[in-house]
Amino acid sequence: MGRVLAKVIATMSELLLQTMINAVYAASYMSLIAVGLVLIFGVMGVINFAHGELYMAGAYTVVGLYSFMALPFFAAVVAGMVFVGILGLLMEYALFRPLRDNPLGGLIASIGFLLILQTAAVLGFGVRMAHIKPPTQAKFHLMEGVVLTEQRLYVIMAAVGLLSALYVFLRKTKIGWAMRACAQDKEAAALQGISLNQISRIAMFIGAALAGVAGALTAPLVSPTPYMGHSVIVTAFIIIIVGGIGQLEGAVIAAILYAFVHTFVTTFYNGVLADIVGLVLMLLVLILKPTGLFGAKERA
Amino acid sequence: MYRKKLDHKISRRKFLATTTTTGAVLAVGASGFSNITHAADKTVKIGFLAPLTGPVSAWGKPGLDGCQIWAEHVNAAGGVKVGDDNYKIEFVAYDNEYDPGKARTGAAKLIKEDDVKFIMMLGGDTWPGVQPLAEKEGMLVSTLLPSDLTPDTKTLIAPCEVHPIYNVTGVEWLAENQPDAKRVVICAQDDALGTPSVATYLAAFEAAGMELVEEPLFFDPATTDFAPVMTKLLASKPDVLCLDTCYADYVHPLCEQAFQQDFKGTIISCTADFYPKIIDKTSKEFMEGFIFQFPDFDDPALNDERVNFANPNEFYAEYAQRYGAAEWSAVSWEYASIMDIWSDAAAAAGSVEPADVLKAMKASGLVKHAFGDAGWWGEELFGIDNAVVGNWPVVVIEDGKAVIKEYRSIPDWWAKHKDLMIKHFTALGQMWNQRA
Amino acid sequence: MPNRKTNLSSWALGTALVAGLIVLPHLLSFSQREIAVLLIINVLLVASYRLMTLTGEWSLGHVVIMGVGAYASALFSKSLGVPVPLSMLLGAGTAAGLAAILSFPLFRMKGFYFLIGSFAAGEVIRLIWKYFTNPFGGAKGLKLIPSFPDINLGFADISFFEPENYYYLCLVVVGLSLFILYRIEASRIGLTFHAIHWQDKLAEAVSVDTFRYRTLAFVLASFFAGLSGTLYAHYIGTVNPTRFDVEEMVYVLIWAIVGGTATFCGPILGVVVLTIINEIILRALGLDTVRPMIYGGILIASVLFLPDGLESLGPKLKRLFAGKRPSGQLEETT
Repeated sequence: MGRVLAKVIATMSELLLQTMINAVYAASYMSLIAVGLVLIFGVMGVINFAHGELYMAGAYTVVGLYSFMALPFFAAVVAGMVFVGILGLLMEYALFRPLRDNPLGGLIASIGFLLILQTAAVLGFGVRMAHIKPPTQAKFHLMEGVVLTEQRLYVIMAAVGLLSALYVFLRKTKIGWAMRACAQDKEAAALQGISLNQISRIAMFIGAALAGVAGALTAPLVSPTPYMGHSVIVTAFIIIIVGGIGQLEGAVIAAILYAFVHTFVTTFYNGVLADIVGLVLMLLVLILKPTGLFGAKERA
Repeated sequence: MYRKKLDHKISRRKFLATTTTTGAVLAVGASGFSNITHAADKTVKIGFLAPLTGPVSAWGKPGLDGCQIWAEHVNAAGGVKVGDDNYKIEFVAYDNEYDPGKARTGAAKLIKEDDVKFIMMLGGDTWPGVQPLAEKEGMLVSTLLPSDLTPDTKTLIAPCEVHPIYNVTGVEWLAENQPDAKRVVICAQDDALGTPSVATYLAAFEAAGMELVEEPLFFDPATTDFAPVMTKLLASKPDVLCLDTCYADYVHPLCEQAFQQDFKGTIISCTADFYPKIIDKTSKEFMEGFIFQFPDFDDPALNDERVNFANPNEFYAEYAQRYGAAEWSAVSWEYASIMDIWSDAAAAAGSVEPADVLKAMKASGLVKHAFGDAGWWGEELFGIDNAVVGNWPVVVIEDGKAVIKEYRSIPDWWAKHKDLMIKHFTALGQMWNQRA
Repeated sequence: MPNRKTNLSSWALGTALVAGLIVLPHLLSFSQREIAVLLIINVLLVASYRLMTLTGEWSLGHVVIMGVGAYASALFSKSLGVPVPLSMLLGAGTAAGLAAILSFPLFRMKGFYFLIGSFAAGEVIRLIWKYFTNPFGGAKGLKLIPSFPDINLGFADISFFEPENYYYLCLVVVGLSLFILYRIEASRIGLTFHAIHWQDKLAEAVSVDTFRYRTLAFVLASFFAGLSGTLYAHYIGTVNPTRFDVEEMVYVLIWAIVGGTATFCGPILGVVVLTIINEIILRALGLDTVRPMIYGGILIASVLFLPDGLESLGPKLKRLFAGKRPSGQLEETT
C-alpha cells in the first residue's frame, strides 16, 4: 500500500517538474516575441500586426540557410536574427516613418506587409510545413522521467541572455535612456534633441530581431509553415494586454504568467480549456484594468 | 525559392537515372498521339473543386497534381471508352479556398459554364455550400470525408477513403502481433477530422481488448508547443500511443516530443505523411514498428493481384519525378483512384451523364476500389450506402521504410464489432442524425 | 447649399446607377452572378463598418458581429422554426443586442485598447461557437440552413435559390439599408458622431454623452452587419467559425481603407473594385497563389500614396481636367 502511494507521489512530482520545464520554455519564446512587440509599440506607437510573420521569417531563414545550404545552425540563427532585424528596418523606413502621424495607417500597412511575407514564404518554400533536422538531439535527464532537451535549453538561454542585455541597454546606456524617454513622451524627447528617426530605427531593429531569433531557435521544434505567425500573434496580443500595452517588464511577467497557466491547464485538464482560460484572463484584465496588470493610468 | 531549385535538381537527376522508363512513357505517349488522329475523339470535363491556396491546400493541390498524371496516362492510352466513343479527360480546377461561399460559386461555374460531368471535392466545410446546387442539378460529387454523407446527399459519394473506418485494420493488426500491448492513450486535434476518428479508435481498442488509460486528449488546432500534450499523455505510462488522424503538422512534433520524453512503446496513427522527416527528427530505432494506413506507392506489395489501382509503382515514380518524392502524401493518389472508379462506371453505363454513371456505380454492387474489390456501405453510420469499403492496407515502418504488412477486410471487422462502433460514434455525437 | 444643376445631375447619375444595377445580372455569366450576390452582401457589411468608424473607433470584431447575425438567424429559423424573413430581422436584432452588451466593457477603452479589445471579444465569441457544439455546431458550424422562401406570384414561381433572384432581393434589402445608413449620417446623430471623432472632449463639454453616442453607433452598425450576415447565411446555407475569423476582418479593413472612409461611397467603391480585381481579374489570370501578395501590395500602396482612398481620385481627376489647382490647398494657404 505504502509502496503504491510512494509511486503515485513520485509520478506526480515527475509530472509536475516536467510541466514546470515545459512552462519555462514556453515563457521564454513567448517573452522574446511579446517584448519585441511592446518595444515597437512603446517607441513608435504602432501595433505591428506583422510581428508573427517576422517570427515566421526567422524560422524560414534557418530552413534556407541551415537545412538547404547546410550552414552551421548557430550561424543560421544569427543570420535569421540580423535578417529579420533588417526586415524591421525596412518596415520602419518604408511604412512606419511615412505614416508616423497616422498610427492606424501604420497598423494597416503592417497587415499589408504580413500578406506579402506570407505569400513570399509560400512561393519560396511551399504551403506545406518545412522540415528541419534538429542540430542536436542531446537531452538532460534532470531526474527519472524529467527531460530537458538541449534545443529547448538554447531557447531558454537566449531569452534570459537577450532580455537581460536589453534591460541593461535600456537602463544603462544613453540610447536606452533616450528610448525610454521617447516611449514616455515623444514631443518632450524631441525637444531634448533626441532624434526620433534614429530611436525608431533602433527600436524596430531590436524588436524585429527578437521575434526573428525566437523563430530561428524554435524552427527545429515547431516545423515552420507560412501561416505559423497567426497563432503566435494571438498569444502575443493576450500577453501584451495582460502585461499592459507599453510595459516591457509587464510583457515578461505576463508571458511567464500566461505560459504557466496555459501549460498547467493543458497538462492537468486539456488544451482547449487552456485557450479559453487565456482569453478569459485577457478579457478580465481588459474589463477591470484596460491598461494591463502592470500598466500606468490610461493614456488619453 | 531554395526548395524549387532543389526539386529541380532532384528531378534532373531522377530524369537521367530513369531514362528507360521515361522512354517507355514517351513511346506510349507517341502511340496515343497517333490514335488521336483517327479515333472519333470527344472530351469530357471533370471538375476539381478543392482548396488550392491557403492553409488547407495541402489536401487539394497534391491531388490535382496526381490527377494530371492520371489524365495524361489515360489520354495517352486513347482515353476512356464510353459506348462507341473514346473520351479524353480534361480537368477543370476551381480554387474554393476552403470557403463554402466560394465553393458554391465554383460549383456554379463548373456546372453551368464548364459543363463538367463529375466534380471531385475535398468536402468538409465546403460541401454544405455546394449541396443545394448539386442536388438541384443532379450533379455527381465525390468527397474524401464521408462525414459529409447524410440520407439527403443522394448524389454525393465517398468512393475512395472511408475515413476513419479503415483505422480499425491497424488496431486489429497491432493486437494480433503485440498481444502484450494493452494500455493505450490517444490524442487528436479538436475538429471535424479528429473526433470521428477518436470514436473509431475507441471502438477498435475495445474490440481488441485494449484498455484506454486516460480520457482522449483533444488539443486546439492552433497548438504550436506539444511538450505539455505529450507530458500529459505519457504520465500514465502507456504501452501504445495513438495519434488518431492528426495532420502532419501535429504528427511530426508529437513524435518528436514522444522521442524526447523517452517513450518506448508502439505508436499507431492514421497517417505518417513525410515520415522520413520524422525519422530525421527522431531516430530509426524510435520509429521502428510505427503503424499507419497509407502506403508509399513504390511498395511492391501494391502489385498484389487484388489491387485495382493501375500501375501504382509507375504512378509514384512519375509523381516523384515531377514534384519530388518528398511531396508524396496520402491525397496524391486518392483523387486519381476516384477517377478510376468513375471511368469504370462511365464505361459500364455507356454514358458520361452524372445520373447514368451513378446508377452504373451502384448497380454492380461491386466497386473496383484501389485496394481491392469493395462494396457500397454506410447506411448505419451515415444514413446512406454511398461509401465504398473493402480492404485497406496496414503499413508499418521497418528499417526506415514504410512496408505494407497486410491487406485487411473492413467489412469483416464491421460484421463482428459494429455495435461497438455505433456505441462510440453515438457517444461522441458523430452519427448522421446527431450532426444534422 | 448645392445648386439645382448639380442636384439634377446627381439625380441623373443616381437613376443611371439604379438602372445599371437592375440590368447587371443579365450582363453577367452565371458564376459572376453568384459573385455579385456575395459582393452586394459585402457592400452592406463595409458600409455598416463605416458608420462604426465615424466615431473614430476602429473595431476588429465587425465580421464576428456579422457572424452573430448569421448564426442567430440560422438558429431561429432552423431550430425554432421562425419564418426566414422574420428570423433575419431577429438575427440582425441579436447582433445589435449583443453589441449593446459588449459596449459596456469595450467603451471603457479607446484607440488601440478598443481595437484589441474588440478583437478579443470577437475571438471569445468564435470560441463559444467552436466549443458549444449544441447549439452552434462546433468547428463544422451549422448547415442546411433554411433558404429564403420562394414567392408564388400566380403566374411565376420566384425561387431565391437562383442567384439572379437573390441578387434582386439583396439589392432591395441592401439598398434600403444604405438609404437608412445615409440618412442617419446626415442627421443630427451623424453630426454628433463626427463631433465625437474629432473633438470628444469638446463634445463632452457641451454635454454630449459620448458613451451613449459611441454605443449608438456600435449598435446601429452591428444591426446592419448582422443583417448582412443573415443574407449570407440563408443564401449559402452554411456558416462556420472560420468564415468569420480575423482574416476576413482584414479584408473588410482593406476594402474600407483602400476605398477611403471620408465619404459614404468610399468603402463601397473599395469593396467593388477589389472584389472585381480579386475574383474576376486575378482568377482569370491564374494568379491564385500570389493573390494575397497583390492584395498586400495594394493595401500598402494605398495607405502610403492614396491615404484618402479611391474616393479621393474622383475629385483629383476632376480638378486635373478642369486645369485648376486643388481648391483645398488654396484655402489653406490664404
